Amino acid sequence: MSGRGLARLAPLVLVLAGSLSACGDDADPATGSPAASESPSSSPSSSPSSSTSEDESGSEDTGDDTVTVEVTREGDTFTPNGERVEMAVGQTLVLQVTADEAGELHVHSTPEQDLAYEAGTSEHEITVDRPGVVEVESHDPDSIVLQLEVR
Amino acid sequence: MSPGAGGAISAHGLGGAKDLPIPSELAIAGAVAALVISFTVLAVAWREPRYDAATSGRPAPAWLDRLVSSRALAVAARVLGMAFFLYVGAAAVFGKDSLTNPFLGTFYVLLWVGLVPASLLFGEFFKAVSPARTIAMLFARISGVPEGQGLYAYPARLGYWPAAAGLFAFVWLELVYPASTDLGPVRLWVAAYLGIMLIGSAVWGTTFLARADPFEVYSSLVAKLSVWGRREGRLVIRSPLANLDTLVARPGLVAVVGILFGSTAFDSFRESTPWLKLVQSMSASRVLPDTLALVCFSAGVALVLTLATMATGVTSETPRRALPDLFAHSVVPIIVGYIVAHYLTYFVEYGQLTIIQLSDPFTRGDDYLGTADLAVDYWLSTHPTFLAVTKVVAVALGHVVGVVAAHDRAIKLLPRRHQLTGQLPLLVAMVGFTVGGLYLLFAA
Repeated sequence: MSGRGLARLAPLVLVLAGSLSACGDDADPATGSPAASESPSSSPSSSPSSSTSEDESGSEDTGDDTVTVEVTREGDTFTPNGERVEMAVGQTLVLQVTADEAGELHVHSTPEQDLAYEAGTSEHEITVDRPGVVEVESHDPDSIVLQLEVR
Repeated sequence: MSPGAGGAISAHGLGGAKDLPIPSELAIAGAVAALVISFTVLAVAWREPRYDAATSGRPAPAWLDRLVSSRALAVAARVLGMAFFLYVGAAAVFGKDSLTNPFLGTFYVLLWVGLVPASLLFGEFFKAVSPARTIAMLFARISGVPEGQGLYAYPARLGYWPAAAGLFAFVWLELVYPASTDLGPVRLWVAAYLGIMLIGSAVWGTTFLARADPFEVYSSLVAKLSVWGRREGRLVIRSPLANLDTLVARPGLVAVVGILFGSTAFDSFRESTPWLKLVQSMSASRVLPDTLALVCFSAGVALVLTLATMATGVTSETPRRALPDLFAHSVVPIIVGYIVAHYLTYFVEYGQLTIIQLSDPFTRGDDYLGTADLAVDYWLSTHPTFLAVTKVVAVALGHVVGVVAAHDRAIKLLPRRHQLTGQLPLLVAMVGFTVGGLYLLFAA
């Protein structure tokens, strides 16, 4: 390739790449993304959302506890509105849906999971078996309700 | 079972789970690497221009040149490309309107994302298989027009602007349009694209396709980072850096680069929690704010590049306003690095799913290609640390190549006393692009 200048750069790039991968190894277990930590508190509308935060902080200690999130549908408006929820691979997420009309939620994991809910209050369980960000959304009306950060 | 087996059409785009954000430590390490690399290149790299299209590259072995330049290979590539196009076209016209239709995966994943690795490996891949080009050549042959000619010469001042328009139309369809995974609108898009390409090539010859076909322009741009080039008709093997330097600057190149980078960044941004909450709290649909954001990202990249390249002293030979297009090539590696980071899992995993779906184009339980019973391998998404490191390394590598390319161009074009200081604004812009890309990988 192109001689001296690049040859002089090569060690630098290697060192940087090495340090990057070294960082990556210990980086993974330390989670604590800012998006997720603000998620429980920032849905000011409905009162019972505080239970969400307790469940979530509990989920950080033990991997196999369930996480509970309340979802409310009033007309075409969903609460929460695209919040991030952290959960572990294989952990069970319980969605407590309170809706004023029946509908369906789609969990865009692979494979996709569909949850049909009735008017009134119902509970639905979700598990995701691979790491990734999984959207929970309603298609009619179109709205992303939750983003699950599965680690 | 395959995802989307329920057949529900979603407003979600293709694909299931997305990648986890990269860890903050990695993002910071990548950003620091970009800074260090940039100023090291500035300090230690050569002071005389090194790349010259007229002399660079080693001639390829004669047998390879004969094979690559042979009519048989060209015809074989056209026939294969056309056969694949007709096969997927049949799925698009007669297949089921569902996410299991392989047309969608072929269009958004195999074509749009796959043309990047294909062009990196094989050079001008899409040009060789492009159905639009094949049909245009057949029409020309039937009507007795000499090959490649149209009614008029392609106006040079149009440059790549038509391709920029086409690329914008594609990314808008993919990232903004709510029914992007409905069969009808995508089919209509492809039909309009083919129609415009055929009319354009009848009027302006095949030069039109090289300037206006969004996929061909994109593929040929990425092909400049492959090792394959031509010099005086001979096949040569060049370093990607020397090859990149042979990219001919034409009007509209900055716009093309801006849309490619800006749209990918927008794709990360539109799923970030703050933007999601904002557009979903508005009463109207998110098409308008998303369109505005897509335009802002694309125009923003183009504008930053324009300002950064023009903020230097110039010689009398190169007018200042020519500089943005002359330096635009150096953003291509940054784009490719970021595209790898952004699309790697999507390409590997949804690409496999598409190949499985292709065996059953009409969703009737057929197995034409023998791939219907394969299972998708999710190794990549079950190794998030490996994935995150790969992404950051790809972004950093793209940044190195981009900075070196810009440096060589600067010492070629800028007056001697501005050669170092004149590079600084562009260097800062490139660090900004790379760090911005890493930030989106971390935060979105």
